[in-house]
Amino acid sequence: MLASLFLIGASLTTPQMSVQAASQTIVEDSDDGMARAVNRMVGGIVSYARWPNGPADSARVMCVVGTPRLTNRMAPDVPGAGSVLVRRLSAAAVMGRSECDILFLGRMAVADRRQLIAWVRGRPILTITDDDAACMYGAMFCLSSRAASLSFSVNLDAIGRGPLRIDPRVLSIGRSVGGSS
Amino acid sequence: MTGPTSERIGARTTLQKLLSRFHFGITLFAVALSGLTILLAGVSALRGYADRNMELAAQLGAYGVEPALVFNDPQAAREGLEPLTRIPGIARLRVLDDVGRPLTQWTSPMADPAPLLTRLFFPRPFAVAVERNGSAIGTIEVWGDSSTLIDYVRIGLLAGLGCLLITALGTIFLARRFEYELVKPLNEIATVAHDVRLHRRFDKRVKALGIAELDRLGGDINALLDELQGWQGHMESERAVLAHRASHDALTALPNRESFDQKLAQRIAAAGTPDDRFALMFIDADNFKAANDNYGHAAGDAVLVALSQCIRDALGPEDFAARIGGDEFIVVVDRIAAETVREDLARNIRACAAQPVTLPGGETYSASVSVGVAIYPDDGTDATALLTAADAAMYADKLSNRSRT
Repeated sequence: MLASLFLIGASLTTPQMSVQAASQTIVEDSDDGMARAVNRMVGGIVSYARWPNGPADSARVMCVVGTPRLTNRMAPDVPGAGSVLVRRLSAAAVMGRSECDILFLGRMAVADRRQLIAWVRGRPILTITDDDAACMYGAMFCLSSRAASLSFSVNLDAIGRGPLRIDPRVLSIGRSVGGSS
Repeated sequence: MTGPTSERIGARTTLQKLLSRFHFGITLFAVALSGLTILLAGVSALRGYADRNMELAAQLGAYGVEPALVFNDPQAAREGLEPLTRIPGIARLRVLDDVGRPLTQWTSPMADPAPLLTRLFFPRPFAVAVERNGSAIGTIEVWGDSSTLIDYVRIGLLAGLGCLLITALGTIFLARRFEYELVKPLNEIATVAHDVRLHRRFDKRVKALGIAELDRLGGDINALLDELQGWQGHMESERAVLAHRASHDALTALPNRESFDQKLAQRIAAAGTPDDRFALMFIDADNFKAANDNYGHAAGDAVLVALSQCIRDALGPEDFAARIGGDEFIVVVDRIAAETVREDLARNIRACAAQPVTLPGGETYSASVSVGVAIYPDDGTDATALLTAADAAMYADKLSNRSRT
């Protein structure tokens, strides 16, 4: 499946600011390599999250707001049973309805993002963004791409505030210092 | 008779040695058997535990590397394996993804202390499939090494050796004890038998013994010794009777000629100083043949018995007498004074013999005797000379007696 492997050493972990992305998923050197890597990573994160309602492997709805930076072909690849339905909605539409289990925040207006983060607080909604490498704006998981690899960081504050339960093994992979709002 | 027996004994062994060898063999066999059983049981149990340990390690690893496989993240996989690298006894770890490509692997920096043991116990790695929501997403492989086994084996061998040593010592001690208990009473019996055979100590008896069979044997030996002792006593008294019979006259119970000759020879040999004097008296009943013919042999016997009684009455404590023929007697009167008159010595005998004897037929008979006296050393210093002189004196007396009648 993968044509070649680019093993990135631990020395390449992001040194900037206080957020550390420990995860270094290998990205295939092909046209849709990044799309597949992102879908796999999002699917993995989703598979380690537990919603308080419904069985573990029921289909979850992912609402994509704004423009994702890493890929346009959003189709999370959940390992094993379980699937994710993708919908593209505006910030207002998301807040108007309450069918989203997952909120993917692409590039958007700062005000919209702040509003959405504030709205999510206390709700069983998993927030993932690819537009916040430092993971400072309140999303639970922040994807970032560096060189030929994809990684994610975890915002423990954001996770701690919500009713969602995340497998601690994932938290230890996407090690985070938290501390941000 | 004892020659060939003692030669055969040279090749024999003692009961104690035999028992010791037997016990040692049994002990060795038992100890080896139990040791082997324990070893086999220990090895199989050890193997079971080692396998389970590896399996648990693999399960732990599978749990730890699961997210890493989901995210296809070698770094996370290494971290997921981290707890396993601290478990002793793991030589190598490898994580494969869903298509069998290695994601990460780890090899222990410590050298395998016993590769042979490793090959024996862990010929293959333990492979556990990593699953996520029911679908296999990869495999974790764990190779064990012998570092923990070697400690266990070392301690096990030491403890086993210790146990064997204690068992062997205990068994040897008990065997010794048993040998002692058995050999001591046997020795007791042997000592008694030996004493009886060698020193004729028929009064020896085997003591009561603690072991029933040996006690019965001892009892039988004691009964046998009782019988032997009885026989021995009987034989001795029989022999004394025979000896008395051989040296004494049956009718008068006086010693016979042979024993008198011996005693006389002894007396002469014992004589030392010149004033050590003794008299030899020859006594013969007169007309005894006529009395025998007139009154019968029973009467003659009665006369002889009466005469012997007279002689016996006349004897001093160191004197001795003998009947040497039909009606002839000899008396030795010991330690006589130099001035002793010969006729004085004869007078007592003559007077006693003259007493009337009641014969079996009711008649009375008064015997007369002829007496001849010889004095040592006046009439001779050897037995023949003394006897000849006494005989001559007796004949002279007899002749004078005949002329008197």
